[in-house]
Amino acid sequence: MQSAPLPETLANLLGLDPNSTAVMIVMSLIGAGLIGTLMMTNTALAGPWAKRKITAAFTDRIAVDRIGPYGLFIIVADAVRLLSKELIVPEGADRPAWDLAPLIIASTALLGFAVIPMGNGIQLADPEVGLAYVFATASMASVGLVMAGYASNNKYSFLGGLRAVAQNLAYEIPLILTGASVVIFAGSLQMSEIVAAQQQSLIGPLPSWYAFVNPFAFVLFLIANLAEVGRNPFDIPEAPTEIVAGYQTEYSSVYFVLVYLGEFIHIFLGGAIIATIFLGGPAGPVLPGIVWFLIKIWGVFLFTQWARSAVPRVRIDQLIEIGWKGMLVLSLANLLLTAVIVGVTV
Amino acid sequence: MSLEKPSRDTALDVGVTEDGLDYDALADLLGGHVLDREEHLNAEGFVIRPDEVQEVLSTLKEEAGFDHCACVTAQEYDDRYESIYHLRKYNDPTQELSIVVPSPKDDPHNESAARVYDTADWHEREAYDLVGIDYDDHPDLRRILLPETWQGHPLSQDYNQDQPQIVSLREHANPLEDDKRSEDDPDTMFVNIGPHHPATHGVLHVETVLDGEQIADLEPDIGYLHRCEEQMCQQGTYRHQIMPYPDRWDYISAGILNEWAYARAAEDLADIEVPEYAQVIRTMAAEMCRIASHELALATFALDVFGDFTAVFQYGIRDREIVQNLLEDLTGQRLMFNYLRLGGVAWDLPEPREEYFEKIRDFLDDLPHKLEEIHDLVTGNEIFQMRCVDTGVLSPEQVKQYGATGPVARGSGVDYDIRRDDPYGYYDELDWNVVTEQGGDNFSRVLVRLREVEESARIIEQCVDLLEQWPEDDREIQANVPRTLRPDPDKEIYRSVEGAKGELGIYIRSDGTDKPARFKIRSPCFSNLQTLPEMSQGEYIPDMIASLGSLDIVLGEVDR
Repeated sequence: MQSAPLPETLANLLGLDPNSTAVMIVMSLIGAGLIGTLMMTNTALAGPWAKRKITAAFTDRIAVDRIGPYGLFIIVADAVRLLSKELIVPEGADRPAWDLAPLIIASTALLGFAVIPMGNGIQLADPEVGLAYVFATASMASVGLVMAGYASNNKYSFLGGLRAVAQNLAYEIPLILTGASVVIFAGSLQMSEIVAAQQQSLIGPLPSWYAFVNPFAFVLFLIANLAEVGRNPFDIPEAPTEIVAGYQTEYSSVYFVLVYLGEFIHIFLGGAIIATIFLGGPAGPVLPGIVWFLIKIWGVFLFTQWARSAVPRVRIDQLIEIGWKGMLVLSLANLLLTAVIVGVTV
Repeated sequence: MSLEKPSRDTALDVGVTEDGLDYDALADLLGGHVLDREEHLNAEGFVIRPDEVQEVLSTLKEEAGFDHCACVTAQEYDDRYESIYHLRKYNDPTQELSIVVPSPKDDPHNESAARVYDTADWHEREAYDLVGIDYDDHPDLRRILLPETWQGHPLSQDYNQDQPQIVSLREHANPLEDDKRSEDDPDTMFVNIGPHHPATHGVLHVETVLDGEQIADLEPDIGYLHRCEEQMCQQGTYRHQIMPYPDRWDYISAGILNEWAYARAAEDLADIEVPEYAQVIRTMAAEMCRIASHELALATFALDVFGDFTAVFQYGIRDREIVQNLLEDLTGQRLMFNYLRLGGVAWDLPEPREEYFEKIRDFLDDLPHKLEEIHDLVTGNEIFQMRCVDTGVLSPEQVKQYGATGPVARGSGVDYDIRRDDPYGYYDELDWNVVTEQGGDNFSRVLVRLREVEESARIIEQCVDLLEQWPEDDREIQANVPRTLRPDPDKEIYRSVEGAKGELGIYIRSDGTDKPARFKIRSPCFSNLQTLPEMSQGEYIPDMIASLGSLDIVLGEVDR
C-alpha cells in the first residue's frame, strides 16, 4: 500500500513538475491546508455536537436537538456564540506568553498529522523518523499548558499547569516506551513502513495488527494515551470540581476556542497514532482507506468519552504513583520482552 | 426488636436512674454552682454564674456523661441577656439538661464553652454575631454569618431594622483579600476556594493555605446565604405563618423533615396531640424526603469525585425524580411542600388511593435494582474506593466534640439517630434499623446514605401497608387546634427530629402572644461543616473536595 506523499500526488494530478522546489512548496501548503481542514472538520463535529450527544447517550439524556437535523447546526450556533464573546485579559497576565499558549496548544497537535498515513495516498510527508516526530509534536502541547498556567496569574491556573507537567512527565515515558516496542516489531520509525508491516495475515483472515500481535502493549498505550490527552480518569490538569478549570480558567472567547480545539485535536492525534501503530492504519475491507482511518480515530474518541462518563478521577499523587511505579515498569518489561521475542524469532 | 439500642452504658453517669434523669442528683454534683433551677418543657434548666461556664460544663461532660452540646441559644430579655447550652447524650438524647447563663444587660459577657465542646466555637460566634453577647476566653470571637463590617446585632432589642448599613467602600474594597497567614511561610500559598467554585455546593467560601497541593490550614467562611430565618420565624404566627418557611431551610427536597422539626417543637409547646393516621402519613412523607435527599447527596458526591456531570449524577437525579413525583402527588408541590400543619397534615392521600399506593409500591419494587446499579457503578468501582477509603477520616471522638450528627456521625460508628433514640411520629411502631459504618471516611458516609435509603424504603412500605388497611371512618388527618395559637407565656422548649443531614432542632420561647419570642434553629449542617478542617488537614485538595461532598451540606441550612 505504499503510495506517494500527498504533495507529489497533487502535483501529478495538476500536471505540474514534481521535481521543481517551488511547485513542491506550493503543493505542500495546499496539502497541509487540506489535511488541516479535514481534521478541523472532525474536531468541529466532535466538540460542540458529538461530545454532547455521546455523553447524553451515556447519561440517559437527549442533548442538543433543537437546531437543524439531529441538532447539528449547534456547531454554527456555538461558533458564533463563542467567537462573539468578550475576550477578558486577566490583570497581571504575562502577555506574550499568555497569548501564545492557546496557539501552541492548538497548532502543535495539528502538526502531528503531517506524517500520519490516512489511506488513499493522503499523507503529507513520510520521513524516516516519522514516529519520533509524531511523539515530539504531541508532547509539545505540555509547553503550551505550562505557559497558559503560569502566565494567567491565577492560582488555579498555576496549579493546573503544575499538574499538567507532572502528569505528562509521568505518562510520556511509558507512552513512548510502549510505542518503541512497535518500532522493534516493524524495524522502522517510518510511518508507512509501520503500516505496511501490519498488512500480513496473523491467523486466517485476522491481520497482524499490533493490537492483535501484542494486546498487552495496546492496552498500556491506550491507558497512557488517556493521560496524555487528559481525559477521565486522568483529567487532572483541568479537574473542574477541584481547581475550577485548571490552566484554562482565565481564557475566554477566541482563546478559549483555541484551547478547547487544541484539546480535541489532541484526542484525535492520539487516536491517529493508535490507529497507525496498533490498528493497521487505514487498512480495512470494502471501504476506502480514509474512511477506515476516520472510523478508527472516532472509535478512540468514543472510548475517551466513555471513560469520561463512567470512571472517577484519580488523585494527582495516585496518578504519579501509577505512572512511575506501575506503567513505567510494565512498559519497560514489555519493551524488553518484545526485544527478546523479536531477537529470537527473526 | 431492631430498634433496641445495642448497649447503653450511661448507667454509670451521675443522675441516671431507671425512670429518667434525676435532676436533684445533678444539682448536687454541681453543688453551689447552681443558682436557680428552671423548668423547660424538654428538660430542667440550671442557672449558673457567667464566669463558671467552663467548670460546670466540664464537670457535666466528664462525670454526668453529657457529651453532646446540641445547641447554644442566645437571647435578650428586658433585664438581661441569656445563653442556653442545650446538653444531651449521644447514648440517649432523651437525657437532656439546659445550662442557663444570664449576663448583665449593660455589658453582656460570659465564659466561652469552646474549650469544653469544640462545637460551641461556631455556635457562640453566631450568638455574638446576632445577639451581641461577648464570650470570654473564646478562641476566635468574630462575626460568622454577617460581614465583618456589619453594624449592630440584629436579634438584640435595640437593633433598628430600618437603619441602613452604611459602610465605606474602602472597608469593603476586597473582602477576599489575600490572607496574611501564607506570608509567614514562603512555602505555602493561600487560595480562596469559593464563594464561587464548582464544588462548594452553593456559596461556601473555604480559605485554604496550601503546601504544594496539600492543605496546611483551612477555614470555612459561611454566611453568604444568610436569610434571617430565625427572625422571619419570630415575626410569623405559630399557626399559619411559620409552617411554609421550614421548606426553605434545607431546600434540597428535605422539606417535610424540616416542617416536622417545627411541628414537633410547636406541638409539644402548645400541647397538641396529633392523630395517629396523620402521624403515619407524616412518617411516610418524611422518609420519601430522606430518600430524595440522600439520592441527591450521592449524585453530587459522585459529581465531586468523578469530576464532571457523569452518568452517576444523572442516575441519582433520575431516581430522585420518581420520589419527587410521589411527593408532588401527595402535597401538590415538588420542593416547597408546605404539607404539615400543627396537629396534622394539610390533606389526606390523593384519590384514588389504590393508584397512589400502586405507584409507591412500583417505586419500592424498582429501588433494590437501582441501588444495585449504583453499587456496581460507584461503591464497587476500584478507582472510587482508591479515592474515598481512608480519606477525610473523622474519629468518633471528633464527631462528639464537634456535635456532628446524622450520616456523618453514623459513618464514624456513632450510633445516634433521633428517630429511634427520642421517638416521634410512628417510628417506634415500625421495624427498621439504624445504619452505622465504622470507617469514618468518605466511603463510609456514602455507604451509610445508600443503606439508609434501603431502610427508608422499608419504613415507607410498612406505612403503605398500614394506610391501606386504615378503617375509612378513622382517617383523622387533623387535631382540633385553635385558630389562633397562644401558648402560655415563658415556656421554653428544645425539640429535635432526625433531618436528612442530622439532628435538626428547634428552640422556642413563648411570651403569651401568637408569635414566638425567640425561635432558634439548630442546623445539622452548621455543626457538621465544622468538622471539615479536622478531616482535611494534611490531605490533598481533591480529598478536601470529596470530604466536603460527603458532609452533604446545604448552605441554606448552614447560613439560615
